[in-house]
Formats: sequence, structure tokens, C-alpha cells
Amino acid sequence: MTRERFIDEVRQQQEPLRRFLLALCGGNAPLADDIAQEALVRAYVASGSFLGLSKFSTWLFRIAYNCYIDHCRKSRLEEAPLQAAESVPAADGADRSFRYQQLYLALERLPEKERAAIALFYFEDRSIKEISSILQMPQGTVKYHLSLGRNHLKDML
Amino acid sequence: MKEIEKFLRENKPLVKEDPGFILEARRRMEQVEGIKAEVDRQRGRGRRALVVALVAGLALGVAASALAYLYPVNAASVDEGLWQSFRLFLQEYRGLLIYPLAALAITLSLVLSKKTAVQ
Repeated sequence: MTRERFIDEVRQQQEPLRRFLLALCGGNAPLADDIAQEALVRAYVASGSFLGLSKFSTWLFRIAYNCYIDHCRKSRLEEAPLQAAESVPAADGADRSFRYQQLYLALERLPEKERAAIALFYFEDRSIKEISSILQMPQGTVKYHLSLGRNHLKDML
Repeated sequence: MKEIEKFLRENKPLVKEDPGFILEARRRMEQVEGIKAEVDRQRGRGRRALVVALVAGLALGVAASALAYLYPVNAASVDEGLWQSFRLFLQEYRGLLIYPLAALAITLSLVLSKKTAVQ
């Protein structure tokens, strides 16, 4: 895959990828973008091994999720989720900022797998099959994490 | 449960438009390509040095065999002990010893320069 072709693909996936990582990082936009950039570099280095067996976006999201997991293992960070509100455009108003803040706080309290499953299913509208491929777990386990995540969020929100 | 699902679908995280994101990605990819090219260059240099060292070794072996064939050592002298044999060998091939020594020096310098380049 040439660099230009790769960048074209990335341009199309830029927003969903950053949104997915933003949800995983509890609304910390600079951190999400850093991980996204790292994922893009990893994907570019490995682009020769992309055989097209899955969608490019699925492959890219899997790499991004692995980058996020690596980052968590390295730093064991639990960044201040209150920064989340700052990343919400001001035009949306205080009410929306507050809702995002609540959402990010709740997401941050979820275990990583539940958070990832919720983000992919509800924010990215991915199918269970795709989520299973991205998170590298059986479809039944994805459904289980989704159900658990929903229940946890219900208690928190 | 439906409320939670509705809440999640209606509150997808908003990503700020950032034209610098793709520019940064492009810059990093250029850096990756630069590193890849440098690694390839180093590998090529190492491979060439290895081939030259192999050829030098082969030539040295052929030269040694030719010498042994053209100037056979007196078998009787071997019986006189190792040190004596070595002394006789030096006496017989004194004039020709410069070639294997030079080949050894070239091989060593190539191997060492390859190691330095990899570091």
C-alpha cells in the first residue's frame, strides 16, 4: 500500500478513530490523538501485511485498541476525566458539556473491554462481528461485555 | 435500558476538526520512511561487506591450496616435531606469507567496519 493510498484511507477513518479513542481515554482529547498517531505509525509500518481479509477500518481499529491497551499497561494512567468537558465545543452549551462530563466519568469507571465494546457499538455503530474482530474476542463475549457495560452505565448515569 | 441506549446514541463524543492531524500523520510517515530507508541502506552495506569477506576468504583458501600443491612440504620434516615443521614452513614460504596476511587484514577491516556501521 502506497503512502498516498494509506493517507486516503486514514482520512476517511480519521474521525471515527479519534472518537473511539476519545471515548476510551475518558474524553482526554490530546491523549486520544497521541494514541491515534501512534496507531497510524504502527499501521503504516505493518501496512505491507494488510491482506484485505477484513475491512481497513476494522484492521486500523484493532491496532488502535492494542495501542491503547499498551499505553494503559505502560502508564496505568487514569487521567482526570474532568478535562472531557473542555474538549466539547463551546457552542453546544453548558448542558451538553455537563452530559459529556457525566458520560466520560461513567465510561472511565468501566473496565477497558466494556468501555471499548460500548464505544464501538453505540458511538461507531459497529456490528457485533466487527467488534469481535477488533477486540479479538468471541461474539458471545462481546455481547456479555456490552450487557455488563450497559448495566454498569445504568447504575452510574 | 432503552434510555441508556438512547442516551449513548444521542451523545456520541464530538471530535474537534483538526486539519493538523493528517499533516502530523503524514510527517510521521515520512519519518518512518526515512528510518526504513536508512535501515535498508545499512543492511545493504552489511550484505556487501559479508560478500566481500566471503570472496576474500575463498580466494585465500584457493591461494593456500595452490601453494600447498605447487610447493609440497617435505613429509619427512613433519616427523621432526611441530615446532620444527613450523620453522621449515616459514623458511619455505617466507616470501609468500605477505599475501595471506594481507587478505586477513582486509577481511578483518571489512568485518570491523560492518560492525561499526551497524552500531
